[in-house]
Amino acid sequence: MAQRNLWRNKRRTAITISSIFFAVLFAVVMRSFQLGSYSLMIRNAIEQYYGYIRVQHPDFADDPSLENTFEFDQSLPETILRVPNVKAVTPRLETFALASSGNITKGVLVLGIKPEAEKQFSNPEQFIVRFTIPKLLADSSGLEPILTDEVKRILGAHAGESFTDSARLARIFDDQPVAAAQLNQILNLSRVQGRFITSNDSGVVISSRLANFLNIQVGDSLVMLSQGYQGASAAGVYPVIGIVRIPNPELDNRMVYMPLQLAQSFSNAHNLLSYMAVNLYDATDEALKVTTDSLRRTLAYTGLNVKTWQDLNRVLVQQIESDNQSGKAFLFLLYFVVFFGIFGTVIMMVHERMHEFGVLVAVGMQKIKLAITVLLEMLIMALIGVALGYLVGLPIIHYYHVHPIRLTGEMAKMMMDMGFEPLMPMAPFGSYVLWQGFSVIFMVLLACIYPARKILKLNTVTAIKR
Amino acid sequence: MPTLLISATQFLVGQNASEIVRKADEMMRGEKSSYSEMTMRIVRPKWERSLSFKSWSKGTELSLVYITSPAREKGQAFLKINREMWSWNPTINRTVKLPPSMLSQGWMGSDFTNDDLLNQRSIVVDYNHTISGEEQIDGWDCWRITLTPKPDAPVVWGKMFLWVTKKHYLILKSEYYDEEQLLVKTEMAHSIKDVDGRTIPTIYELFPAEEPGNRTIVELNAIKFNIDINDSFFSLRNLTQVK
Repeated sequence: MAQRNLWRNKRRTAITISSIFFAVLFAVVMRSFQLGSYSLMIRNAIEQYYGYIRVQHPDFADDPSLENTFEFDQSLPETILRVPNVKAVTPRLETFALASSGNITKGVLVLGIKPEAEKQFSNPEQFIVRFTIPKLLADSSGLEPILTDEVKRILGAHAGESFTDSARLARIFDDQPVAAAQLNQILNLSRVQGRFITSNDSGVVISSRLANFLNIQVGDSLVMLSQGYQGASAAGVYPVIGIVRIPNPELDNRMVYMPLQLAQSFSNAHNLLSYMAVNLYDATDEALKVTTDSLRRTLAYTGLNVKTWQDLNRVLVQQIESDNQSGKAFLFLLYFVVFFGIFGTVIMMVHERMHEFGVLVAVGMQKIKLAITVLLEMLIMALIGVALGYLVGLPIIHYYHVHPIRLTGEMAKMMMDMGFEPLMPMAPFGSYVLWQGFSVIFMVLLACIYPARKILKLNTVTAIKR
Repeated sequence: MPTLLISATQFLVGQNASEIVRKADEMMRGEKSSYSEMTMRIVRPKWERSLSFKSWSKGTELSLVYITSPAREKGQAFLKINREMWSWNPTINRTVKLPPSMLSQGWMGSDFTNDDLLNQRSIVVDYNHTISGEEQIDGWDCWRITLTPKPDAPVVWGKMFLWVTKKHYLILKSEYYDEEQLLVKTEMAHSIKDVDGRTIPTIYELFPAEEPGNRTIVELNAIKFNIDINDSFFSLRNLTQVK
């Protein structure tokens, strides 16, 4: 009977279903965006550089200097890799230096790495730059006859910028179509050599924004000055073997990768490490805790500390936390609006059908049965609405998870200043999606209290009179 | 009338204190020029190391330092002209001007900051001096002199105490305070000896107040005063050639 009631007034049913449908759709899509950007933030900062867990000297957390380093025991990486859930481990020596080329000097982060281990870890090799737009390309005479002003302007704005592949370079022209021949010419003029370092190299790989700032190209030499282990002086000239474009702009501004042994001799810290960074397969909070505990047990004999990224990077944790709270508040507001949308249609429905209810009760239908029928109607509509919401929402989520929205303009700049990639990806399907559905159904049930009460208190005579 | 008398004595005493500081400063600086060989020991809770260097200076404006050991540091040289400093590093074959951001960093990893080396002169001209007591240090009778910076002086210290021996005008102890009147570091001098016709302390120790256990000890191995040296010796060109 509930089902037949629904078909009797198709328009009313459609309105209720669509209000539920939009509620689910909005809630799911919005939450997915929120969760997606948190996980991107974490991935960006943690997987590509920081590591979910770090093994380090007990004093390193308070004073991350070369004095708080530890002796590199070659068997340590294997010991750590044997712990379940550990995906990759990489030994590093980290120090700060002044890097200069010509008259320009800048403070840089020197990361002594084992290239093979790092490849399994953050894989900086994938960011090796293949194209850099020369600073004077826009004015170069070779291209002059065929370049339009608009293309010149774009080239000028992106002068010095580096790209890992030709497709990314082509993307700067965005909606401005460029002839294939012209693009090829630009690509040819922008092409750069370069590769990632290997353990035996005596050169460095630097990040693209740093290279741009110091005006350095592959093959040039980089002068570095610093203070080494135990007050020794550290100075060296190193050829630049390659340039990498690190997605995180903060790191891209100041990163110098060096083979571990070279970094150790540069800073006079022979066979010393700052820390071992560990990446995990499963990085959820529970898995992180379990793995940290078992690492602590396994490494107790070394006297080293095992710290999670949350312990070490309070700022990022707080940033994510506060963002999550404001996201939840916003979601709550959305629910509020949605609830009154549903509630409104329910009130309308009750008023329209008052007469009908009255007649039904008059011919002998029990009020409680009538209330249950109405409840069933609402539930059926809620289920259809939620199902439809999922049906439309999930493909959207999936699409934007695979092809994240790339922000442009001021918003992108702001995000990049904060050290994040200007992307708005969505989280993949997860338990949060089900929660959105549940909460919408819960709201529908809440909205049903009104018609149920109305029916139970129904005065048959006044209802029929109308 | 009495007030006038008091201020007059204060004036005299003030003059006197400035005179003491000026004389003490000259005792160490060799009036016109000097050449010295020193060893510096840097002591940290977990390690210590030594550096040896030669140093030439002329007046208060010019000085040049050449590191002779250990092997890793040998050949580095530092040139100071007025309030600017350059360093030469043979490893990178380059002269680097000290950026302002490195003023407060330790020189060669020691407790002496680059700023200490650059702005020595200021104890005479940049401060007002008053005698604030008399004490014994290592058995020597000393004046305790309080230095407060002149209003527009470009100095980093909020206050200084110097203990100067009455007999030889030698500074045996100095305390440096920041603007909040908190002790930053203490410098001690001892092992007074006759060197090149003068009586001077030959060992200097520096204790930073913030880091207990840290200490830098400089020992004077040889010193010559009023040597014949040309201004052109203190040049960027000579910085890369000095031995």
